[in-house]
Amino acid sequence: MTMTATAPQVGDLERELHSMLMSTEPAEEPVAEQPAAPVADVRELFESQAIQYMDQLYAAAMRMTRNPADAADLVQETFVKAYQAFGQFQQGTNLKAWLYRIQTNTFINNYRKNQRNPYQGTIDDLEDWQLGNAESVTQSTSTRSAEAEAIDHLPDSAVKDALQSIPEDFRLAVYFADVEGFSYQEIADIMKTPVGTVMSRLHRGRRLLRDLLADYARDRGISAVPATTTGSKK
Amino acid sequence: MTDCGCDKAKAELEEYIHNELTVGEAADIAEHMATCEDCSGEHLVGLTLTAKVRKACNETAPEDLRDEVLARLRSIQTV
Repeated sequence: MTMTATAPQVGDLERELHSMLMSTEPAEEPVAEQPAAPVADVRELFESQAIQYMDQLYAAAMRMTRNPADAADLVQETFVKAYQAFGQFQQGTNLKAWLYRIQTNTFINNYRKNQRNPYQGTIDDLEDWQLGNAESVTQSTSTRSAEAEAIDHLPDSAVKDALQSIPEDFRLAVYFADVEGFSYQEIADIMKTPVGTVMSRLHRGRRLLRDLLADYARDRGISAVPATTTGSKK
Repeated sequence: MTDCGCDKAKAELEEYIHNELTVGEAADIAEHMATCEDCSGEHLVGLTLTAKVRKACNETAPEDLRDEVLARLRSIQTV
């Protein structure tokens, strides 16, 4: 696409209107129902709407790639792709979810294939016991409040380590739901999977996480959760 | 509103925590948890887990990443 001679005037108006609207709008969601921007303003619009999500995309990229250099590369690639496809983004819809969709796609296509994980792709089919999740669900009430307290006292590093150690699809479902607060449907769109699969990944991911954190707390003597309450583990 | 009992509350607790239930369904579970220590304990663990994960995952992008991204975008001619 190229700029036309008349574009700048329309562009100036648009820009003015846009900055007026944006200045009264809290950061979370972009202004709804905007007319299509002329080419001259696309970059400005993109920068004003999308760049604000950089910290969040970087945080997600850290959980995806597990290291700062790859995370930065992934975020940069995400923004470039999003910018190039910005004409297809429908103003008024969820920009953050759209950016996450691009980043998740990019991650899966460019990074995941380099990480040879024999279970990838079939992880949803594994039974819970194969994931080491044979924990008994019977637990006393006092143990539960002790568990909540123990989790609450864990260092952030323990939570991140535990997240890194659960299967990737589970980790991403937990991340999208618990950190970003996306709905199941939004996660389904981002991960390109049915809602039922999202639910299963989220439930199992959180269960694994909870067990890992309970183990961690017990090993460090952080909690009063006795080892006998976790039942027989495979 | 009716107390839905432990089985239903436990089965739908994750959806309750993640705001995926209808108002009516959520009200039934809330009513059950008000009188069931077992289920409200599970709820507490679930909420704690969410809060903990959210806090642990907080990150700030490196200073230079923003500049690099803006420079990349400005070097792209067509959209």
